[in-house]
Amino acid sequence: MKVNCEKLCPDWPCEQPDEFKDIWVVMETDEHGISEASLQMLTPAKKIQSKKPEEKIVAVLIGYNIKQYAEIPIKHGADKVIVVDDERLKTYYPRVYGQVIVDLAKKYKPAVILVSATMKGREMGPYIANTLRTGITADCTDFDVDEKTGDVLMIRPPFAAIMLAYIKTPFRRPQMGTARPNVFPVPPYDESRTGEIIEEKLETIMDPGMQLVNYVPVKKEEVLIEKAEIIVSVGKGIGSMDGVKLAEKLASLLGGVVAGSRKAVDAGFVDPERQVGQTGKSVKPVLYFAIGISGAAQHMLGVREAGRIVAINIDPEAPIFKQSDYGVVGDYRPILEALIEELQQLKEKGPEAIEELLKE
Amino acid sequence: MRIVVGIKWVPNTQAVRFDPKTGTLIRAGVPSIVNPHDFPAIELALRLKDMYGGEVIAVTMAPPSATQGLEHVLGMGVDKGILLTDRKFAGADTLATSYVIAKGIEKISKEIGPVDVAIFGHETIDSSTAHIGAQVASWLGWPYVYYARDAKLVEDGKLRVTRQTEKAVEEYEVNLPAVVATAIKALKPRPVRLSYKLRAKIEKPIIAWNIEDLGLDPRCTGLKGSPTVVANITWMPEVPRKKIVYTPKDPRDAARWILKQLFSDESVAGFLKKALWGEE
Ligand SMILES: Cc1cc2nc3c(=O)[nH]c(=O)nc-3n(C[C@H](O)[C@H](O)[C@H](O)COP(=O)(O)OP(=O)(O)OC[C@H]3O[C@@H](n4cnc5c(N)ncnc54)[C@H](O)[C@@H]3O)c2cc1C
Repeated sequence: MKVNCEKLCPDWPCEQPDEFKDIWVVMETDEHGISEASLQMLTPAKKIQSKKPEEKIVAVLIGYNIKQYAEIPIKHGADKVIVVDDERLKTYYPRVYGQVIVDLAKKYKPAVILVSATMKGREMGPYIANTLRTGITADCTDFDVDEKTGDVLMIRPPFAAIMLAYIKTPFRRPQMGTARPNVFPVPPYDESRTGEIIEEKLETIMDPGMQLVNYVPVKKEEVLIEKAEIIVSVGKGIGSMDGVKLAEKLASLLGGVVAGSRKAVDAGFVDPERQVGQTGKSVKPVLYFAIGISGAAQHMLGVREAGRIVAINIDPEAPIFKQSDYGVVGDYRPILEALIEELQQLKEKGPEAIEELLKE
Repeated sequence: MRIVVGIKWVPNTQAVRFDPKTGTLIRAGVPSIVNPHDFPAIELALRLKDMYGGEVIAVTMAPPSATQGLEHVLGMGVDKGILLTDRKFAGADTLATSYVIAKGIEKISKEIGPVDVAIFGHETIDSSTAHIGAQVASWLGWPYVYYARDAKLVEDGKLRVTRQTEKAVEEYEVNLPAVVATAIKALKPRPVRLSYKLRAKIEKPIIAWNIEDLGLDPRCTGLKGSPTVVANITWMPEVPRKKIVYTPKDPRDAARWILKQLFSDESVAGFLKKALWGEE
C-alpha cells in the first residue's frame, strides 16, 4: 500500500509501510532474568514470520546487567537480539525505557512490535506507540497476516469474548500489539539455535521526570495462579466462605491453588488478583476445576490454555458443560466433600489403589 | 492545584445481553453509566483538591449524551465538566481519542489555568485497553505513572505517588505536570451529594468544545486520525473439549466418577499421582 501523505494527520511522520521490516519483541527483565511473559510473545512473532518468511524476529533487550541474557531469546526462536545495557537503565521508568525503544525503532524501522501486557508493558506499550504516532491493539488473543495486503491482523475479543475483531494498522508502522501473559506458550528451547547480537549504546537519556524513592518488596507465599498447575476455581455458586474453604482443601490436597470468576471476586470470595478471565488473568493449568461457575464467555477466555476442565454445576443447562471435559451435575458441596474424602483415602492407600478404582 | 480527570460514558456491560441465535449484542435499552474504573480516579482528584485547594475538571470526548455522565461527577464535587464533542471525533481509536483529550487539556491550561495533573482510571469496561493515560502523557510530554493507589504533594511541589506492582509497593516523586492512572478499586469513591447536584444545576459548569474550538485538523481526529481499523469481526473459535456430562446417583458416585475419568486420562493422571504421592 502506498500512503498518500496529503491525507495523513500533519502531526504524524509520513512513511511508507514498505520502508519497515522485521518483527520486534520487547523483552522484560527482572532479578531472575528475562520474564516468561515476554518470551511467550515469541510465539505470535513466529506465527507472523511463518506467513512472512522474509521478516526476521528481533528481540529487544534493554536494561542494566542484562547482556548475559542475550542468548536466551535466540534459543527460543529469535533471529537477532538488540541489546542496550546501560547503568542509567538500572531503574525502570516508562518514559525512559519507552524512549529508548522509540529511538531504536526510529533507527531500525521494524514493521511490527509485540509487547507483553504485563504491568510494565501496559504502562509502556501505549507510550511507545503514541510517541511513534502509530496504533496499538491491546490484549490480543491471536495474530495473523492479511494475505492480500500483508498487514498484520491483531485479533482481540471486543467488548464480549464471544466475538473476535481483526484489527490492522494499514497506513502506519510499526504495527503494535500486546497480549496478556499466558495467552501463548513460550516456544521450545533449542540449544542449537544461533543468532546475531547487536549492541547499541545510548548517547543521551531522557529525563524520567520522576524518581523512585521507596521500594518495599511484597512477599507472596502463595503460588500465583498464572503459574499453578492445578487450579480449583470458584464462582458465584460457591455461595459462602465455607464453600471457598472446601475448594481450598481440595486445592491443597492436589498441590494446587484457588482462583475465581469475576462474580466470586465481586462477592469477596477471592482476591482480585486471582480472577480468571478477560479482565482477569489467563491461566494454563494441567487441570482446572470450575465449581459453581456458569461458563460466561469472558470467564472462559481465561482458560483456553487449560489442559482439562472439570465442571461441577447444579444446573444441567449451564453453558460450562459445553466447554469442559468432564462435567458433573449436582450441588457442589456434598460432591466436593466426597471428592476430598476419596482423595484422602487414595492418598493413604497409595498408587496401587488406582487400579482398583479403575476396575470398578 | 488544577486537576483534570478523564471519564468515559459507557454502556453498562453488565446489562448487555446477547442474542444466542445471531450472536449479536442486544444494546437496546442498555443504560449508559460512568465507567466504574473512573471512580477511583475521580476520588483521587477530589482528595487532592480537599487537601490543597484548587479545582477539579472532568473531561470526556463523547457525543452530547455523555453530559449526563459529567453531571453525575459534578454531583460528587467535581467543579467543571468539559465535553469534547464533534461528529468528526467519531470512530476514533485510542490514539485519536487521546489526541483530542490532550488538546483539550492544553486548552484548559491556556484559557482556564495551568493543569497540574491529569488523572485517568484503570481502564474502561467496554474496551479495556488502558491506553489513554499513557498516550495523553506522550502527547503532552508529561511523565506517567500507572496503577496509582494514592498521591500527595511533597516538597519542591512534586507529587508523591504510591502504587503496587506484582512485586512491590513503590513510591515515586513525580515532577508536575504529570499524568497518573489509578489501579483497579484503588480508592472508594464518595457518594453524590444533593447540594453539589443543585450547585451544578444552577451554575451549569459544563462547557462543550468542538473541533473548531480546539483548532484541530480533521485528518487528526476520529476515524481519519486513527491508525488502527477494524478489518473484520468473526466468532471466537471454540476450544475442543470432551464435553462428557454425568448426572450422578449420589455425591460418592460423583466423586468416584471424577477420579475415574482423571486417572484414566493420560494427560492428567501422571500429574495427579505426582501431586498425591510425589512420584509418577
Ligand atoms: C467486559 C466484561 C468483562 C468480563 N470479564 C470477566 C472476567 O475476567 N472473568 C469472569 O469470570 N467474568 C468476567 N465477566 C463477567 C461474566 O460475564 C460473568 O458475569 C461471570 O463470569 C459470571 O460468574 P459466575 O459464573 O461465578 O456467576 P454466575 O454466572 O452467576 O454463575 C453461577 C453458577 O453457579 C451455579 N450454582 C449455584 N449454586 C450452585 C451449587 N450449590 N452447586 C453447584 N453450582 C451452583 C449456577 O448454576 C450458575 O451456573 C466480564 C463481563 C464483561 C461484560
